[in-house]
Amino acid sequence: MSELEITIETLEDNIVLIKPSGYLDAHTFEQLDCTIQEIFENQTHRLIVNLEEVNYISSAGAGVFIGAISQAHENSGNIIFLSPSPNVQDVFDLLGLSQIFSFASQLEEALEKF
Amino acid sequence: MSSLPPQNADSGAFNEMLQISSQTENLEKLRNFIQRMVSSSNLESTLHNRIVLAVDEAVSNIIEHGYPPTQPGRIQVEVQANASLFSVLIRDSGRSFHPGEIANIDIRKHVQQGKRNGLGIFIMRQIMDEVDYSFQEGLENTLRLVKYIT
Repeated sequence: MSELEITIETLEDNIVLIKPSGYLDAHTFEQLDCTIQEIFENQTHRLIVNLEEVNYISSAGAGVFIGAISQAHENSGNIIFLSPSPNVQDVFDLLGLSQIFSFASQLEEALEKF
Repeated sequence: MSSLPPQNADSGAFNEMLQISSQTENLEKLRNFIQRMVSSSNLESTLHNRIVLAVDEAVSNIIEHGYPPTQPGRIQVEVQANASLFSVLIRDSGRSFHPGEIANIDIRKHVQQGKRNGLGIFIMRQIMDEVDYSFQEGLENTLRLVKYIT
């Protein structure tokens, strides 16, 4: 598997589901950042990000989400995080992001949050 | 880099070094090295991934701010561990960086403003017991990260 793979799926009401797999660090974060920016520019500011297959995240990866959430809110959108892996959850806890970001454990639950 | 266990690993005392070029593709190699070091140390396992993260953040900062992207330089990472502490010395000869001058962040304001900077040093301070920096201008910068083993 390459360092980071990203799948994209458009769901109901033009909500987009992004699923990165691999690690999100200073080497790979730009790939995810570009993907999110393209979706923002061309489609929607309502995203669900499935994090169950992200096995490592550093501040570079967390920074992508911080920037993206701010942009989403400015455009009446939101980002819901689905099933973060234990390592990702630990980093969100460490940064205090677990109290700020919105999470869901099931896709249906994530869709209901919009 | 050796794939063998560090010397005297049973007693938790060892000293190993890794040298990498300041390019982000080497971060995975760095993380694998630190993972092997923490696994051989007396640190409790719940801290392992956090120590790997703290060192990743330190080296990522040097890669981003220390050297021009077109002229990568050397970064030397030395682990010194014993029964009471796990210490990482990170040396480079790039532009000096002063973590002490960077204030801690208010994460809620950071998110509201969409700011991405300052997270790495915040993470290092959250995880490690000591984050010390020394430098000889233009010669060598040394960042020392220490975690005490209780």
